[in-house]
Amino acid sequence: MIELGIVDIREIIRLIKAHYDFDFSSCSLTSFKYRLEHVIAKNNLNNAESLFRKLTDEPDFFDTFLHQLCVPSTEMFRDPSVWRWLRESYFPSLDEKHLMNFKIWLPYCVSGGELYSLAILLKEINLLNKVKIFASSFSNESIKNIKAGVYPFKKSEVSVENYRRFQGDTDLSDYFKREKYNVVRDTSLLKNVEFIKDDITFNNAPNNIKLILMRNVMIYFNPAHQEKILQKVHDSLSAYGNLIIGLKEQIKTNHNIHGLFEAVELNESVYKRKIV
Amino acid sequence: MNYKAVIIGGSAGSFQIVTRILNSLDPSFPLPILLCLHRLKHVRSGFVEALSLKSKIPIFEPFDKDQLKTGCAYLAPSNYHMFIELANRISLSADESVNHSRPSIDLSFITAANAYREKLIGIILSGANRDGALGLKKVGDNGGVTIVQDPTESEVKTMPESALQHTKVDYVYSSDQIVKFLLKL
Repeated sequence: MIELGIVDIREIIRLIKAHYDFDFSSCSLTSFKYRLEHVIAKNNLNNAESLFRKLTDEPDFFDTFLHQLCVPSTEMFRDPSVWRWLRESYFPSLDEKHLMNFKIWLPYCVSGGELYSLAILLKEINLLNKVKIFASSFSNESIKNIKAGVYPFKKSEVSVENYRRFQGDTDLSDYFKREKYNVVRDTSLLKNVEFIKDDITFNNAPNNIKLILMRNVMIYFNPAHQEKILQKVHDSLSAYGNLIIGLKEQIKTNHNIHGLFEAVELNESVYKRKIV
Repeated sequence: MNYKAVIIGGSAGSFQIVTRILNSLDPSFPLPILLCLHRLKHVRSGFVEALSLKSKIPIFEPFDKDQLKTGCAYLAPSNYHMFIELANRISLSADESVNHSRPSIDLSFITAANAYREKLIGIILSGANRDGALGLKKVGDNGGVTIVQDPTESEVKTMPESALQHTKVDYVYSSDQIVKFLLKL
């Protein structure tokens, strides 16, 4: 695999900002570098130079680039206990009044693993038709792929195992069709999903959200950008709305921006918007 | 030589020697210790606790962007890759597994080698797959010190042998020698 130098990376960031007004300077450098190398390999490019050229000469490529650059969720029902908590503690605690106009937001969808997991969970507790889900992506290609629901069969094994640990109603394979080397997810699960094309600072965030599922998204950004994201997330939550982040992501509630949230269930990284 | 960090990779059969290393060092140890050990993905807790039982230095399963401190050990959390940033911080990643491993020893070693260059000490211990070989090579290429546990002493030889095939390492050490080496730092 081609390894990029720091100078190449800075140049790519500068070029993208100039051409496409997308600022990657706030990414975690190690992850960003690793993903850039992945994009270079995936497009059979030889070096940073050829990526510069492709980004400059082919404006249509940028959308694909964004899709390939973002880290997909590699499994459905990752951390089964979080999903069990949603099913057994969170949703049962909501009464009819809470469930009126109930909106859920998933920022930064790439492969749709979290989105489909959520839809399956909601279907199994008979809430799928009663809630509205917003799913944001940086690229149209991500949205197209999520809607098509096609996924390599080999990669579905972990998800099947996770779902078993989640102890869902059935077998995960009931939610997809096998087609040769792929599986095709049951796309009817996404009937009530509204897709949003967003940018790196979540400027198109929806409002009055009751639950935000943003697990393992902040890890790809530096601490300053994490604060910007948390501010946006806070603004988009309704009073007492909940935020779930990744198990190894942290909100330091003694910090000024992080302090906009308080912990609800630390074992599963669940927070809520603090009312000040 | 002014080193900045020690990074240790291991898999099957490495638990005892890791325990021994951690038991031999005390909190005045002048470097942070990064541990990338293969572990079960669905078992979230218990590993740090097990390692801590006999360790004299504190062991953390870091959160994303945690800052590294000397005299502390950092164990790559289950189901994440652990990257080392230039600013002495950890970045976690939920990217695809590499060689069926997440955490991937290669990725931890490569990012640490880029962050610390010649000021890194990389150690590969007993293990049942080839993860770590490319990472240790990168440590060596960047001028860092490379150490492999003597395969004749390793419970499972695949990992140390694979590391030895990929790179001309500085030292092939028994567990006694690894401990002695670290104590002299």
